[in-house]
Amino acid sequence: MSTRDEARAAPRAINGRAPDVFRRGEWVPMREHAEEEEVDFVVVGTGAGGAPLIARLAESGFSVVGMDAGPYFRPLEDFASDEREQEQLYWLDERICDGANPIVMGGKNSGQAVGGSTVHFAMVSLRFRPEWFKSRSALGYGADWPLDWREMWGYYQIAEQALSISGPVRYPWGPRRPRYPYRAHELNGAAELLARGAEALGMKWTATPLATVSAPHGRSPPCVYRGFCRFGCSTNAKQSQLVTFIPRALAAGAEIRDLAMVGRIEVGANGRVSGVHYHRDGRWRFQKARNVVVAGYAIETPRLLLASATDRYRQGLANSSGLVGKNLMTQSNQAVFGRMAQEVRWYKGPPSLAITEHWNYEDRKEFFGGYCWMAQGPLPVEWVTIQTSSRGLWGQALRDAMEHYIHQVGLKMVGEMLPDERNRVTLADEKDQYGLPIARITYSWGENDKALIQHALGQMQMSLEAVGATDIFRQEDDTNHLAGTARMGSDPSSSVVNADCRTWDIPNLWVCDGSVFPTTGGVNPSLTITSIALRTADRICALAARGEL
Amino acid sequence: MSGRPSHSALGLSSAVLLAAAALALVDRHAARPWRARIPALRKPTLRGKVTDATAAVRAARRMNRAAGLLAGSVLADSAVEHYRGSFHNKAMIAPLASAIFSLAVSAHGNADKRPVAHRARDVVYSGAFFTGLLGAGFHLFNVSKRPGGFCWQNLFYGAPLLAPAALILSGATGFLSERVRDTLPGRSPTIAGIPAGRAVAAATALGLIGTMGEAGLLHFRGAYHNPFMYAPVSIPPVAAVLIGHAALGRARERRWVTRLFLRLSAAMGFAGVGFHIFGVARNMGGWRNWSQNLLNGPPIPAPPSFTGLALAGLAALGLMEDHPDD
Amino acid sequence: MTDRYPGYDVMAKRWTPSWNEQTRRVVDQRLAVLREPRFFSGAEWRTLNAVCARIMPQPKDRPPVPLPAYVDEKLHMRRLDGYRYAQLPPQDVAWRRGLAALDDESRAVHGAAFHTLASDQQDTLLGRMQRGELTSVAWGDMPCQLFFEHRVIPDITHAYYAHPLAWNEIGFGGPASPRGYVRMGLDRRDPWEAAADRGV
Ligand SMILES: Cc1cc2nc3c(=O)[nH]c(=O)nc-3n(C[C@H](O)[C@H](O)[C@H](O)COP(=O)(O)OP(=O)(O)OC[C@H]3O[C@@H](n4cnc5c(N)ncnc54)[C@H](O)[C@@H]3O)c2cc1C
Ligand code: SF4
Repeated sequence: MSTRDEARAAPRAINGRAPDVFRRGEWVPMREHAEEEEVDFVVVGTGAGGAPLIARLAESGFSVVGMDAGPYFRPLEDFASDEREQEQLYWLDERICDGANPIVMGGKNSGQAVGGSTVHFAMVSLRFRPEWFKSRSALGYGADWPLDWREMWGYYQIAEQALSISGPVRYPWGPRRPRYPYRAHELNGAAELLARGAEALGMKWTATPLATVSAPHGRSPPCVYRGFCRFGCSTNAKQSQLVTFIPRALAAGAEIRDLAMVGRIEVGANGRVSGVHYHRDGRWRFQKARNVVVAGYAIETPRLLLASATDRYRQGLANSSGLVGKNLMTQSNQAVFGRMAQEVRWYKGPPSLAITEHWNYEDRKEFFGGYCWMAQGPLPVEWVTIQTSSRGLWGQALRDAMEHYIHQVGLKMVGEMLPDERNRVTLADEKDQYGLPIARITYSWGENDKALIQHALGQMQMSLEAVGATDIFRQEDDTNHLAGTARMGSDPSSSVVNADCRTWDIPNLWVCDGSVFPTTGGVNPSLTITSIALRTADRICALAARGEL
Repeated sequence: MSGRPSHSALGLSSAVLLAAAALALVDRHAARPWRARIPALRKPTLRGKVTDATAAVRAARRMNRAAGLLAGSVLADSAVEHYRGSFHNKAMIAPLASAIFSLAVSAHGNADKRPVAHRARDVVYSGAFFTGLLGAGFHLFNVSKRPGGFCWQNLFYGAPLLAPAALILSGATGFLSERVRDTLPGRSPTIAGIPAGRAVAAATALGLIGTMGEAGLLHFRGAYHNPFMYAPVSIPPVAAVLIGHAALGRARERRWVTRLFLRLSAAMGFAGVGFHIFGVARNMGGWRNWSQNLLNGPPIPAPPSFTGLALAGLAALGLMEDHPDD
Repeated sequence: MTDRYPGYDVMAKRWTPSWNEQTRRVVDQRLAVLREPRFFSGAEWRTLNAVCARIMPQPKDRPPVPLPAYVDEKLHMRRLDGYRYAQLPPQDVAWRRGLAALDDESRAVHGAAFHTLASDQQDTLLGRMQRGELTSVAWGDMPCQLFFEHRVIPDITHAYYAHPLAWNEIGFGGPASPRGYVRMGLDRRDPWEAAADRGV
């Protein structure tokens, strides 16, 4: 059995040790807690939101158990250089998608591993535009966040340091930010074409701030530009939660339980949560806890809250507002592709080495929200998906089109979609392998979403035309990133959690992941998720100090 | 230091200054002592010490060694770097050829004890000088036409602007060594009327600062992730100030601190090779992945440029002491 | 067919630093796929073979990538995609029903099984499936168009472009770890990448 199959077959983090992510076959010591011991925190999910919270809580002296449904990998020996094989990183359990614009799930947007989706994310690490934290009052759409951008600026900085972000010496948009801890990476051909296109349109561009190091850091060697980032980084250059916050968490005394699928949160007679039921190593178990934090991302978080309904909370936990599962947001991820006379070979290097945020900071447009676009580098399987789904190609026509692979160039947007209560996660009748109801995901684009997408497609097309691309075509129907199904706010009737990610209804139940976003902004979300988690940890410490936990 | 290798190189400015010095008429007969031309520097005790030709030859041979070391560094570095660039422009072979010739004539000069300049050496050294100058032009052009122009991104990853200056400096040092060697018996070597020791010392100071600039830029690109990466931006500047001070100061002083810092810079150049070898090993795949890491890891041939310059500086001090002009 | 990258073979890099142990193992497993169906019945298998040959026709001068075997393997191993459109049944049901319905359409139109049709007849039927024009009752409530778009196309084309032979054809670098790439710019190529035949 390969080491990778081993990781899936049985839990690795047991018997007082956890895999050492930096050394083949090696282990690091791990503190363990008995199930009957009431730990301070159980955190469900170890991704962009869960991992930093686990680490910071443990570093502050709390007893913490982090659980993840996925395996605990050692990237150096478990990750193959293979697009297909590495689908193992995704959340591949069945989900049902409907609505006018069903969301493609799986690899497009959710991971299942210790480290969560950051194990396969594309590492783009951007800050929100300050006004987005007050979208409703400052820009007239969506909802206001109960957070102040200046405070977030501080947490962004901490997150960027912790993740050793490699970014440009000067970032061209938004308020001043401190220098990134590492320098930006070299541009590849695809990124250079983005830059040239942007310059032709009179827009600023920059090398993208990425969570992969451009010089050695600790036990991470620098990026080797192998281009398999979204399929796991077997170099360990990528600063995923798996190699950053998780090792910190272990060192600080947290316990991580891999292959531990939480199926239900238990509520005690006093109306507070008392622990979680989870499936690990072939049977259901129960871990007692003083607090439970749900950090399973915008589908699994509401699924778990809804599936934990009791007689007392018939609509699901923390759902007195009725908003759990609602206001699901994804981000428009449409693209324009073309062909160059030159060889681009876009499979080299991280896929998005250059970016323009021009339309996030330009308000003269006829729709709400913003977007950015980035250079692209799809590997063959993803590329054939684009060719077939966008152009309906098959047969010889498809083969012929695929032959131009190394001459292709593309620009892909990350665009803001507006919150809409009709876009939501509910429970289907069908059950998964654990006997838990599977999620039904309903999504339809609004008029504003469509207008924004059309605008972006037009702009990206102009940029490609400006660099001389030919055979240009559009990928009209792609989305990625998730948000919004347990939104934060300052009013219990219109939000699920408060600014501290604490649920309004149950004081010892928290949500700390992408689901707390009231709006989703026009940039990739994970740095904001991580920054909020860092803030939440500080807030929990402050509340604990005042005896308010 | 990590990321793409690049040359350690000398300041373009210093090279240009040296060029000016070299190309100016070489005044073998020192008709007018240089200090006499600058009133502020005019001193009452002005006496050219009469020395035998062997001292000048010794100094010249030292400079040959410095020129050779610089050429060696250029050779290894541009070979790696231009191989990385797949020699996509035929001209990219030029610095290699030039550096090889430079290296050869430097060896020849080092073995040659005759007190007369050599025509072939002069031709080769001048060739290196102009090849470097042309290269600098090419590199400037390359950076200017990249998107973003002269921005950090392109300074990091575009053609290294300061790199060709190493070749300019190698050529210039060699050319000057011929002038020193050519000193008539009983005369002190001068370059354009300036005592050779002082000229070489000044050029060394500027060269050190330029090289430090390049190392600093690339170590900044590497985010100074290892504290030792600060060495090339802390030792050479001190050495540069000291040797610069020597160029303008009294010739008879025993400059042991200057010598110490020059020797430290020279040693650092060699230690840098060790650090860079370690750096390559530390990149993904280590030495087994040499076909990537030799190119993308820290540039192993670069640090000895510091050694070459430090040697030139030491030669300058020797010249000044052998031919005190005050 | 044109050979755009003459002499380029991703598999030749097997023992270079471009491949690591786990990647060799994974690709070996893929190449060793069982050629006999474990999920599909005989009739389904014949139809599937014909469908694969039209969706992804392959050059005659080399053994084909065994696409039906990969589809069969995915279903046999129950490898899921992580989602499914609400109008589609689970993948195993979808495939069985879809292949049967296609064969049914073929018999209705041409009076012969799908796999016995001429290529252009097969293409016509597949094209009608793509456009949602097939109406046999055998489809049940499954829209043929969605079956084509979300089962037929991805399951077959993904298998093809996950195969080293396909990587050779399109000039993809293939596995790349521990060694990645050095020369990143336009019109730049590392020695271990595919060189295009400039004559093409
Ligand atoms: C292909 C791809 C590329 C991306 N690229 C970028 C990018 O470049 N930049 C960016 O900012 N964002 C990117 N993202 C998005 C980013 O990865 C996510 O937004 C972010 O990781 C979400 O953080 P999270 O903590 O909410 O959830 P996740 O990181 O997904 O973590 C959730 C974890 O919870 C676990 N879990 C869920 N339910 C349970 C349960 N019931 N029991 C136990 N465990 C459970 C899951 O297994 C998972 O590991 C990308 C996403 C994808 C899919
Ligand atoms: S390109 Fe860099 S970050 Fe991406 S997988 Fe390769 S080494 Fe990791």
